[in-house]
Amino acid sequence: MVAPPDNDVIWARSLHHSHNGSPALGGISLEVRDGEILAVTGPRGSGKTTLLHCLSGQLVPQQGEVWFNSVPVHTMGPRLRERLRRDRFGWIAPDPQLVPELNTWENAALPLLLRGTSHRVAKKVAMEWLERLDIGMCAKKRPHTLLQGQRQRIAVARALAGSPTVIFADEPTATLQRTDRNHVLRTLTSAARSHGITVVLATHDVEVASLADRTVPLLDGRRVATVALPAVSDTEGRAACSLSV
Amino acid sequence: MLALRLARGTHPLVLVRRLLVAAASAGVGFLLLCTLAYASTHPAYSTASVLRLLWCFVPLAATVQFAVAVARTDPSTRPRPGLSAVGLGPIRLGVLAAVSTAVSCTLGSMVALLVFLYLRGDLTGLPFDGAAAGLLGAGAPLPMAATLVLLTVVPVAAAAASAMALRTRPLQAAVPEDGTQDIVPDEQIPAPAVPPTGLPWGVALTAAGLAVEAYASRDGAGRAFPLPGIPDATPTWVLAGWSLTAIGLAMAGPGLTHLCGQLLQAVRPGAVRLLAGRVLMDEARRIGRPLGVVCAVLSAAIAAIALYGTGPRHFGPLTALGAVLVLGCTTATLLTSALEAKQARAHLVQTLLRLGAPASALRAATALRVGVLLVVFAPITWAIAELAALPLTG
Repeated sequence: MVAPPDNDVIWARSLHHSHNGSPALGGISLEVRDGEILAVTGPRGSGKTTLLHCLSGQLVPQQGEVWFNSVPVHTMGPRLRERLRRDRFGWIAPDPQLVPELNTWENAALPLLLRGTSHRVAKKVAMEWLERLDIGMCAKKRPHTLLQGQRQRIAVARALAGSPTVIFADEPTATLQRTDRNHVLRTLTSAARSHGITVVLATHDVEVASLADRTVPLLDGRRVATVALPAVSDTEGRAACSLSV
Repeated sequence: MLALRLARGTHPLVLVRRLLVAAASAGVGFLLLCTLAYASTHPAYSTASVLRLLWCFVPLAATVQFAVAVARTDPSTRPRPGLSAVGLGPIRLGVLAAVSTAVSCTLGSMVALLVFLYLRGDLTGLPFDGAAAGLLGAGAPLPMAATLVLLTVVPVAAAAASAMALRTRPLQAAVPEDGTQDIVPDEQIPAPAVPPTGLPWGVALTAAGLAVEAYASRDGAGRAFPLPGIPDATPTWVLAGWSLTAIGLAMAGPGLTHLCGQLLQAVRPGAVRLLAGRVLMDEARRIGRPLGVVCAVLSAAIAAIALYGTGPRHFGPLTALGAVLVLGCTTATLLTSALEAKQARAHLVQTLLRLGAPASALRAATALRVGVLLVVFAPITWAIAELAALPLTG
């Protein structure tokens, strides 16, 4: 076992994983430096989500190592990984995944409340982040009354409010329209840069990836130099059909 | 056939729930057949027969309630993409649920008929045949049509009730009609349930029921709470009072549950208290109604034990069967509703675990909910039982 370099927040080596036999990751190694915004790109099914699950400790890879701040994550028990996720990581999913029973500020303060922070402090921090993300005016509303863009911004506020070391964002703008998408991404990246939070951003969108400091392209569960698939010509299928029939 | 095929592939626990429905249906069928036997052997006592038949409606109602609760939790009749892809929408799934309920209840009715004939001595060849020949009226022949009608009551009632209940179930996977939103249906957040408003009515009905009962038993001293099969003691007003109290408790259940949730999340809650309270407020209707029914049944049982537990007249075997059926069905309904609530919250649990919420916190929230409900409902049940028994014993 080789100790990882010190300046990497997350360091993963030759990750292999398959879901019930269908392969997802085939030997991915990568390193995430402190305070950078790293984009993991690739088409659907290229293993981005599985990679993020492995890096954030939600999933233990079948082979390979994951280190966080020189601590091995892949050997941790479920309880420790849970605690690591709660205290050090933030997670933004494609859909907001809010708790429908709680109102906006309670949703944003949930990670802090789960850590045992006092009600007053958690509310103050959550309200600050909601103001910064321009949704302070709906702090008392329930999620079902809000627009999808606003809900996703609550999810971003929830990830930021816990002041994590790393935020994992798995296609955070997949369900949004262009204006909402730009807003969410701009706030996420600027907040991360100003607070020195590392962001691992999985996306299939080249525009989104251009906001990142560095890009790691994936294809079929492997790291490649660039994702440039050969263009599919329109007539290919027709020609084959006419030949075979 | 699809209902049977889906049933074959389901989890054993689901099958156990269906078997419980079949067992409850068998019990009710047996009671109905016993009533028929009593009526055919005692043609002179028609009032007593009618009274026995009316008493059978209590376990019947409990069984139907249980069957509906089981149909609601049945995973094979929930709207899901696998069946939606082949064109089975919520309406057809309601029909499917009705068919599966009818199948399990018919199974129970058949068992009831077999056991009845066997205990009566009509079917021989096994030990204990004809063990209860005297009680079940072995001498008189059973009218065929009446037997069939009584045996189909449970399947028909349960199937109709579950079809109705599932037809009005809100569509969770509804796609907006205008099509302007490009959102996958899963991402739509359901609106929270409207807070229940039945609490004042429930309290009023309970109080009125207790008052009616006390007033009725004021002059008729010595007449106690009637049990089935005792034709000499039928104080109608006492029965009416009891029914009013029971309905009142069932109506007050959701409101009380909502109140419990509100109390739990009041005054600067932490994560556990917040989650426990809000979920309880949202589940008030689903949990509260069966909880109220269980409270009503339990208070009736406590009062009946207080009146008859030490007296010379003990419960007959059929009364005991009916009581066990009612208690078992209402408790099982409560547990099944809790399971339904848990199934509906599975998504939320996933989200919380992804946030890193410790599993112990989620368990603590559940324990807190159960604890608060016990603390609030147990004294109420006991108090109402004592109040109901007071005028009859005093």
